[in-house]
Amino acid sequence: MIEQLRQRLPNLQRIPGIEDSPGPLPLGIDAIDTILGGGLMRGALHEIAATGESHFTAAAGFVLGLTVLSASPPRLFWTSEDMALTESGAPHGAGLDAFGLAPERLVTVSAAHRRDLLWAMEEALHCRTVNAVIGEMRAGELDQVAVRRLSLAAAENGALVFLLRAVPPTDASTAATRWIVGAAPSAIVHGPGMPRVAAQLVRNRRGRLGSWILEWSDRDGRFILATHTQPVAVPTLNRPHRQVA
Amino acid sequence: MPLVITGKHGNAEVLTAVDDAAEKIGLSPGLALAQARAMHPNIDTVTEDTEADAALLESIADWCLRYTPLVACDASDGLLLDISGCAHLYGGEQELVADLSGWLERAGFSYSLAIAGTIGAAWAAAHYYKPACYACGEERALLEPLSLCALRLPSATAAGLARVGLKRIGDIIDLPRAPLTARFGPEVLRQLDRALGHEHEPLTPRIPVAPYVAEQRFAESIAREEDVLAIIGRLARQLQFALERRGDGARRIELALFRTDGVVRRIAAGTSRPLRDPGEIRALFVERLTALTDVLDPGFGFDMARLSVIITEPCPPEQIGIGSQENEAELCRLVDRLSARLGPHRVRRLTAQDSHIPEVAETALPAQAVDGNAGWPAFRRYRNEIELSPRPLRLLARPEPIEAVAEVPDGPPLRFRWRRALHEVIAAEGPERIEGVWWSEHGGPARDYFRVEDKSGLRFWLFRAGLYRDFTQETAPTWFLHGTFA
Repeated sequence: MIEQLRQRLPNLQRIPGIEDSPGPLPLGIDAIDTILGGGLMRGALHEIAATGESHFTAAAGFVLGLTVLSASPPRLFWTSEDMALTESGAPHGAGLDAFGLAPERLVTVSAAHRRDLLWAMEEALHCRTVNAVIGEMRAGELDQVAVRRLSLAAAENGALVFLLRAVPPTDASTAATRWIVGAAPSAIVHGPGMPRVAAQLVRNRRGRLGSWILEWSDRDGRFILATHTQPVAVPTLNRPHRQVA
Repeated sequence: MPLVITGKHGNAEVLTAVDDAAEKIGLSPGLALAQARAMHPNIDTVTEDTEADAALLESIADWCLRYTPLVACDASDGLLLDISGCAHLYGGEQELVADLSGWLERAGFSYSLAIAGTIGAAWAAAHYYKPACYACGEERALLEPLSLCALRLPSATAAGLARVGLKRIGDIIDLPRAPLTARFGPEVLRQLDRALGHEHEPLTPRIPVAPYVAEQRFAESIAREEDVLAIIGRLARQLQFALERRGDGARRIELALFRTDGVVRRIAAGTSRPLRDPGEIRALFVERLTALTDVLDPGFGFDMARLSVIITEPCPPEQIGIGSQENEAELCRLVDRLSARLGPHRVRRLTAQDSHIPEVAETALPAQAVDGNAGWPAFRRYRNEIELSPRPLRLLARPEPIEAVAEVPDGPPLRFRWRRALHEVIAAEGPERIEGVWWSEHGGPARDYFRVEDKSGLRFWLFRAGLYRDFTQETAPTWFLHGTFA
C-alpha cells in the first residue's frame, strides 16, 4: 500500500511543463528562443501582464500573436472577467481576423467572479481540441492553488495557457514564464505602423531574462525583432541651439 | 371569528370568498361588504390578492404534474387534470383520488374533486356535488338534475333560459336543437355536447407536454445530491432508449423534483447539439446543480423525480471514431458544461452581422445557438471587396466621449483626454467615413474614424460624430473613442 503510494508520489509532484512537454513553440527570433530554451513552453502556464491598464490591449495583442503562432488555425478560448470587458472592450472579430485569428474558432467566456474564470479555464483545458486558453483579469490576488491546477491541466493537454493581467503582479508565481508587456511606438510612415510591443521577460524557469521590442507582422503572421530596425534616439531635425551657435 | 375575503368589483367592495364559519352564519361570495358588516359586525376581512392566488394555484398545478403531464388551470380556483391512461399508476381512479385528496388535506386546502368522462361533466360535478365523486360513463344522469349554470354558460344566457322556464340541464337535453340554437345561440348546445361527450373539448396544458418523459417515484424520499444525480443517470438511460428508437436527440432537458411537502423544483439545461448519452446528460446536471444560487433545498426529501426532454432535434445514429467529428463533439460538450454552470449568455461566439456600423457589425451570441461559420466568410469577401481599413482588436461596448483638440477642422485630433489621461497624438490615419443609418429615425450622424497612435505607442480608434460642415460656432464637434488596437 505504502509502496504504491510512493510510486504515485513523483507523478503528483512533477513540475508541470519541465518534462515530457510536447515541444516548445519557437517565436522565430533567435535571441528569445535561445533564452527560452527553444521557444515558449507548450503545456505550461504563462503569465503576461500589461505595464499599466492602458496597455492591456497591447498585451492582449502579444498573447494573440503567440496564439496565432501556436497552431494553424488555432482553437482559442478567451475567458474574461466582466470587469475586464467593460473596461477594455470586448474582442472584436474583424480585428482578430486581421490579426490572423479566425473569429469562428474563438469561444469567449465571461465570468462574474475570478473563481468562475479559473474554473472555466481549467474546464477548457480538459478539452483536447482547445489549443490555447487566455484568461484575462484585472488587478487583484490570484488563488495560487487554482493557478497550480491550471498548470497541471495545461501539462496534460499540451496547450498554451495565458494569464493576461492588467497590472504587473507582485505575487509569487508558479508560471513557466512571466512577461511584462506594453505598447511601443511603431515605425511611423504616414500613420501608425505595424503594432509594436515592448516585452520584458521577468521570470523564466529555464534561463536568463531579457527585454525586447517586437513588431507583429500581419502579413507573415509572425514577430520581428524591432530593436535594431529602429534607432534608439529619434533623430532631431529641428535643432535651434545649433542655429544660435 | 368568521373570515371573509373582499375584493373591489366595480365601485363596490364585495365578498369574494368566505370561510366555513362565515358560510354558517349566512354570508356568501357576491355579497356587498357593507351589507355583510350590517348583518354581522364582527367579521374579519382580508383584501384579496389575485396574483398570490394565481401563484398558489400554479404551484398546486405543478405539484399535480405527478399525476399527469396534462394539467391546466381553470379560472382562478380550479385545476383540470387529464388522467386518461395515468390512473393505473396509482392502482385506479379511486386510489388516485384518495392520494390527491389525502395530500390536499394534509396541506390544509379545502377542495372538491370529481372524475368524469368529459371536462364539462367533471367541472359540473366538482362544483355542484360534494365530496369527491366519480361519474365515468354516467355523465347524463349526473348532469340532468343540475342547474344550467353548471354548463359554464355566460350568466346572461343562463338567465335568458331561466326566463323561459329552462332551469335544469335535464330540461334542455332532449329539446329540439334548432329552435334552441336559433334563440340562445350555438353556445348552449355546444357546452351541452361537450359535457355529454358528443363533442371533444381540448385541454390546454399549462406547461407544454414534453415529447419524452421518464420518471421515478421513491418509496423512501431522497435528499442527498448524489442520490439525485444517480436518479438523473437512471432516468437519462430510460430516455436514451426512447430517443434512439425515434432517432431524436435532446436539445433542452428539464428535471422536475417533487418535494414531499408539495413544492416542485424545476431545473432545465440546454445543449449545443442533439444529445442522447446518459453520461453527458448527467454531467450537464452536475454543473447545473453546482451553479444553483439557492441550494437545492430538499426539505423533507423528494418523493418523485421526472426528467423530460422539452426540445428535440433529429439526430442520426452516431458514427464512432471519426477524428474531426469526435473533436467537434468534445468542444460541444465543453460549451454545454460551461453554459450549464455559468449560463448560456456567458459562453459566446462572435457572429458577423449584415451591417456596416461597427458596433452592430458583429454580435456575440450564445455558443450553444451558433454553429458553423457564423457569417465570417461573407465578412471576408466584403472586406476584400471594399478594402476595409484596419479594425481594432477590442471594441468598447459603447463609444466613450473624449475631449479632443484637432489641428484642422476636418483632421485628426492633436491631443485628447480619455478616462482622465491625456494622450498626445503623434501619428494618425484617416478619416474613414462611416455613414449613420440615415434611413432610420434612430440612426446617428455620420462618423469620421481615425486610427491614431500616441507618444507611448498606444493605438486607438477615434471618431468625430457628424460632418464638420454641419457644425456651427455654438456646437463644437463631439469626439468618441470606440476601440483600441494592439
